[in-house]
Formats: sequence, structure tokens, C-alpha cells
Amino acid sequence: MDKNVIGYAGMTHLGLNYAAAGASKGFPVVCYDPDPDLIAKLNQGDLPVLEPGLDKLVADNRDRLTFTADPDQLAGCDLLYIAQDIPTDDQGRSDLEPIKGLIAEAASHLGPRGHLCVLCQVPPGFTGALDLGPVPVYYQVETLIFGRAVERALYPERFIVGCPDPSQPLPPVMAEYLESFGCPILPMRFESAELCKIAINCFLVSSVSTTNTLAGLCEKIGADWQEIAPALRLDQRIGPKAYLMPGLGIAGGNLERDLATVCRLGDAHGCEVGVVRSWIKNSYYRRFWALRTLHEVILQNMADPLIAVWGLAYKEDTHSIKNSPSLALIGQLHPFRLQAYDPAVPVEAAGHPSISGGESEMEVLEDADVLVIMTPWKQFKEAVPERIAAKMKGRVVIDPYRVLDAAQCEGAGLEHYSLGIGGR
Amino acid sequence: MLENLNQAPQKPQRVVVIGASGFVGRNLAQKLEQAGIDCLGLGSKQVDLLAQGSHEALAGMLTPQDALVMCSALTPDKGRGIGTFMNNMVMVENLCRAMESVTPDYVLYLSSDAVYSFDQALVSEETPATPEDLYGTMHFAREMMLKDACQAPLGILRSTLVYGPGDTHNSYGPNRFRRMARDGEITLFGGGEETRDHILVTDLAEILLLMLTHKSAGLLNGATGQSHSFADAAQMVADQFGDGVEVKTTPRANPITHRSFDSTARLRAFPELNLTPLDQGVRLVHEQLGPQGD
Repeated sequence: MDKNVIGYAGMTHLGLNYAAAGASKGFPVVCYDPDPDLIAKLNQGDLPVLEPGLDKLVADNRDRLTFTADPDQLAGCDLLYIAQDIPTDDQGRSDLEPIKGLIAEAASHLGPRGHLCVLCQVPPGFTGALDLGPVPVYYQVETLIFGRAVERALYPERFIVGCPDPSQPLPPVMAEYLESFGCPILPMRFESAELCKIAINCFLVSSVSTTNTLAGLCEKIGADWQEIAPALRLDQRIGPKAYLMPGLGIAGGNLERDLATVCRLGDAHGCEVGVVRSWIKNSYYRRFWALRTLHEVILQNMADPLIAVWGLAYKEDTHSIKNSPSLALIGQLHPFRLQAYDPAVPVEAAGHPSISGGESEMEVLEDADVLVIMTPWKQFKEAVPERIAAKMKGRVVIDPYRVLDAAQCEGAGLEHYSLGIGGR
Repeated sequence: MLENLNQAPQKPQRVVVIGASGFVGRNLAQKLEQAGIDCLGLGSKQVDLLAQGSHEALAGMLTPQDALVMCSALTPDKGRGIGTFMNNMVMVENLCRAMESVTPDYVLYLSSDAVYSFDQALVSEETPATPEDLYGTMHFAREMMLKDACQAPLGILRSTLVYGPGDTHNSYGPNRFRRMARDGEITLFGGGEETRDHILVTDLAEILLLMLTHKSAGLLNGATGQSHSFADAAQMVADQFGDGVEVKTTPRANPITHRSFDSTARLRAFPELNLTPLDQGVRLVHEQLGPQGD
């Protein structure tokens, strides 16, 4: 018996990774996007996103992937996922009009066997309010992580599915597709599933915020968060995979959107959501850690310093610069001279008036008074502190994510500043 | 949030400083003179904002091209009661009425961090103003009056504790410690554990100047971002006088409170501004005034 045909509408980071994962399970997958230029590139094997393992996953399953800008090809889909990005403003508010348009268009092209499933992040109440006539509608939580998207798509921990009636079994096409991934499936009502996605993110943010708060305290009292975190991971109530790495606040847009949604819903329904507002405030404060540190140790003590920046991307293993902490920092350094390098992002993307690039991370260290490591690319971790010290003019390395080993830096005569460690 | 309406600094045609004979106003007038900016300094002798009809007199001195700085207030050493509060309100009422006749090009109000409560030790421009006394309430009410009345872009600078030469207020901090040190003994409240951010008056004037030249609209806290305990500040002062000055503690009468500032907004608004660390500032003041000077 032929496998059911799966469709993905929206060749976004999410759509492309999930579509390729579906094809790897043996399903024919129709990959639709209304942008013909994007589809042309995909057909040439030119993927718009950088994600470890994605090129190979797409190439290995190319015969089951159909990239098309023709919505009529959706007619053959038994299950169509809507995987479009939802734009948000700087207040975390979603603009739902584009996705409503895509859903209406896609639904109108589905055949009589077609089911539609919303995969993008929508606020509670969205899916239940859709009226697509005879087309059965479902909602599924996505848990994409930039830089780990393939792994997350291939090996999900569970599927959370919003249903019109969770007491009824899932339609066979959906059950067959999801069961092929071999993980638990949790059907629930639409509102629960939509809020479940937000709940997951809130718990992650609470861990991140707690980590960042206590890491900040470490910096002031001479403690080292890296010594504390392993003890927490061994506590079963916290767990080995808890988000215990200090960072520059929460970033990426999706978490901020969920926090804004909780605040908006809480306000509208008279619920106390002060803790969520505190997370937002804490994140904003930590976001500028590198800027404050740079001013404290270099800018207020030196005229016309030359600043070397390693990393421009939002995080390692991606070329995305949306919500990049590096670009946020660089945006505050317009009066100063910069030399920057990123393995995946051209230096022009920084939009800085006095920035120059280089062929390698070592090249941009030439004559630098300070090095700031803003994206923890693996290749930066392999840099030898002695060579860094020999190349730079100054001694200061601001390394929020501890890409370099603090003791080795100290041994090389460098002043090393990181999140979550005090005593400097 | 603060928005620099002038991305590149531009000299205002003229700056009218109300409170030009006061501690901060005098330093601002000097900065303006050094920067080659025309300044009209007004003290209570030129226009007494407590007097009836003073709004008309002030309006007669203003032009629509002026940048106006309001740094005049009756400070707590002049009284902490309702009378002082009401007089401070009258001053800004008259200022607002003057601006009904002549709208300046830009208005800058020197407010105070007394608008914040001590419930939150780390404050930023996002921290809600919840004053704990009439002095803080007065500054917050003045901010609201100006926001309501002012048609021009309005900048508000909420200053932390200010020190430096020429301070007449004698408030608890480095300046009072200097006066105590001359008698050989600095007496702290309790152990002086409370932390505060102290800004050198010339640095505060520099921030005012930057806000004037950038036509900065919105709110900024005027602080260094580095807090020190009163005990440390006292020791820094004592060190300037040699070994003879003793820093003494007293039994604690009030709970310990702390205040620190998140300086991010200032770093983003004026990235090239460097403020004087407290130890350097205390030394500078001592070098400038000598052991006997105020």
C-alpha cells in the first residue's frame, strides 16, 4: 500500500527541516511555498538555511521531496502542515494575517482526503477559531531549536497534538505519520496544546532566568556558576538537561512572543503574571552584559580602542542574524573601530560604519585592544590562547559563553571575562 | 527610554538655565561656556518663580529657539514638609504657565532618583517611580506637570547623589564627609553599610550638556553605574587627609537600604562618555579644594 502523502506549506527553517525528516521516514512529501525563487533554489539543492545535517538529510531523501510553488500540487496531500513563520513586532505581538491567508489558500487546494495541521506558533484560541469547512483541522506543537533542528525533527521527545475532540482517536493518516517517529503522542484540546507550547517555553525561560540571575550574583561575589551547575544537574527535580548555561538573556523571538502572550492573556483575564514580567526585565538586563563589561574594562579607560569581534550569527551552526546578540552589541558601538569575523555571516551584515573583516578569526585580532567572542562557534573553541595573546595588542578577552578556557587564557597573560564567574 | 533627536550633536542657539546659581546649574553654565554655547543663567534674583506674575517675567525672557533647563528646586535641607513641597510645585506651575506663552525648542528637567523606592536596589529607567517621601513625590509630580504642559521635546535626567566643589546642601555623602574630616572624625550612620551611586557634579553637568546637544527626549538616570558603601566613601575621603582622620560607626537606627543603577541606557545613548569613578572624583575634589575647602 502506498504511503500517505504529507505536505508542508511554508519552506521556512521549520518547514524545511520537518519536511526532510518526514521524507526520511519514507513518506512522499510535497514542499510548497508561494515564493517561486525560493522553490527554484531548493530544486537546485541550494538550501536557504544553515543547519547541521540538513543538506545530507535533504540529499538522501531527495526522491521523496517535491518542491513546488504550485498550490494545485497540494491536492494530493493527505496531511498538510502549515509551517509558515509568524512575524512578531518588538513587543512580541504576532501578526497572524499572513498565516490566515496561507491556511485559507492551502485548505482551498486540499482534496477530499486532506487534513490540515497548524505547526507554527499561534496564540491559544487560534486553531479552534479556524473555519475551514469540511477540512479537518489539527494543531501540533513544534520544538525547533536553531542549530539542532534536524536532530529535533528526526528524534522528537513527544508529539503534542491539539484536536477538536481529544477523546476521539487521531485520524489514521496523522496517527501513521506521527507513529513512524516512535515517540509518545499526546492528544489534547486545541487550547491546551497551544498553551502547552507556551508552558514549555515558560519553564525554559524560568530556568534561563534563574541561571542568569544567579550567574550575575556569581560574578559579584567571586563564585563560579560552572562549579554550581553540575550539582544542580544531579538533582532529579532539576535534571541533567536543564537550561543551566548562563546567557545574554533570552533571544530568538519565539520565547519573547510566548512571554508577551502570557502577559496579554493574564492581563485580559485578571491573572497574576508578575513573574513573567520579571523574566522579561531580567532578560533585557542580561542582554547588555557584554556592552557593560566592554565599557567597564576597556572603553572608559582607553581612547580610540580597536575592538575585535568573533561571531556575528545568532548562535553557532546557523547563518541567522535575527536577534543576534553580536549585532545587538555592535549596534551600540558605532563610535568605535571594529574588526570582525564569522564563519557564516559576512561582516557587512553588521551594518557598522567602521568595521572591517578578515579571512579568519585570527586575522581580525591584528592590533586589537580587546577581543569579544559573541557567538560560540566550535572553531573558536579550538583557538589557542597563546596565539591569541601573541596576535592582539591588548590583553582583554570578553567571552560571555566561555568559548575559551579561562585558566589557559590566564596562563597566556590574558584577562578573561565570562558570564557567571567572579573574582576578576 | 531616551531618544537622541540629534544623532550628531548640535549646539543649541541659546540655553536658558533656571537655577544657574545652584550647585548643578553653576557647573552646567561653566560647561556651556567652555563649549561656546550662549547661556542665559537665571537665579531667583533674576526671576523668582515663587512670586506672583513670575511666569510673565520668565516668558518675556524666553524665545522659541531656546533650550530650557530647569535645575532649580528647594532641596530637603530647605525643609521636607508640605510647605517646601508646595513651593516646589508653584515654581514649576509658573514655569509651565510661561511655556504656554513661549514654547522653547527643547526642555530639560533635572529630576532626582528620589522618585524610586528602595524596594528595588537596582534601578533602571524602566523601574516604576514610587517615591517614598514628599521630595521624591515633588520631583515626580514636576515631571508629570512638564510632560503635560510642555509642547517641546522633553528630556528628564534623574540624578543620583551629587558631590563636588561648591555644594551647599551638606547632604550625607562625600561632601559632608569632607567637612567632618576637617575635624578629624567622620561619623557614619550605623556602619555605613548602605551602598549608593555618587556622581561628580561636573560629570552630571556633562550629561546635561550631552542631552542638550543631542536634544535627548525621554528619561535617563544620571548615575555612574558603580555603587559604594558610605563606609567606603568615607574611607576614600579620609584617605585624602592622611592618617589623622578616623571613620566612626554608630548604633544603627534605620534599616540598611541599597541603590545601584543599571547604566545600560546611558552607555547606549552616549557611548563615548566616561564618568569619573568615586575614588578618582574624591581625589580630584581634594586636589582642587585642599584640606580646608568646601
